[in-house]
Amino acid sequence: MAKSLMIVDDSATMRKIIMRTVRMSGLEFNRTEEAGNGKEALEKLQASPVDIVLCDINMPEMSGTEMVKEARKLDCCNATKIIMVSTESADDLINGVMSDGANGYITKPFTPEKFQEKLAPFMN
Amino acid sequence: MPEQMTLSDTVIEAAREVFETMIFMDVETSSEACPTITGQALLGSITFKGNLEGCLAVCVSQSCAERIAKNMLGMEPEEPLSLEDTCDAIGEVANMVMGSIKTRLQDIYPAVEVSIPSVITGRELKNTLGEKAVKTVVCAWLDEQDAVEFSFLYREANA
Repeated sequence: MAKSLMIVDDSATMRKIIMRTVRMSGLEFNRTEEAGNGKEALEKLQASPVDIVLCDINMPEMSGTEMVKEARKLDCCNATKIIMVSTESADDLINGVMSDGANGYITKPFTPEKFQEKLAPFMN
Repeated sequence: MPEQMTLSDTVIEAAREVFETMIFMDVETSSEACPTITGQALLGSITFKGNLEGCLAVCVSQSCAERIAKNMLGMEPEEPLSLEDTCDAIGEVANMVMGSIKTRLQDIYPAVEVSIPSVITGRELKNTLGEKAVKTVVCAWLDEQDAVEFSFLYREANA
């Protein structure tokens, strides 16, 4: 069954790059959404939940780490898989956001193969 | 404090990782003096604080910035691209190169926080950070065609 995807990043260019890389990975989504920060993502998720969220960490208004914590309090996001996509690679930060409810972590720079590896388990 | 030579290597290794993985451009350093980036240029910068504080900047000509942005976005060379999108792409390059540098310096400086990148356009752009800053500048060529300057300015937090 086709899945829905949301890309959350304050850079419109990075959202396009992520979308392109997801396509190059061979993964297909029936609906894609975008948000420029964690706050906007939560508003969109409450209006229309998605299966998978790819979320940056360093963003204005609401960071990705805050967004994960808030999303996990919402019924609409119970089944949503949240994969962080960030330049941050410190073990403490990764472990922290994973224990807060993220389901995966991809560091920038990334490749289509990395998206395939991290997202494929959530596509069935 | 990291050795200057080691820091130069760190900066160029980080830049190579980003350019080769996501921009599909080769980065080659030059033993000659830094080439001058003439005409309109873009400077993408990102600051960092913690036990190391400073700023990383990436400076390229506007035409090179457009090539970088189009490669990142998978666009054809003749496709039009706005200055806003070009600036956004150069900001992301600075962000990713800084992220890669941060990873490489993590054992020495584990508590470094980075800001959101910013980009300026103009001529003869320079990255500065006051008198006490240590400056490492690495000049390179992208695909043997365009000059790029990476400048890493820092001071230790208690300096």
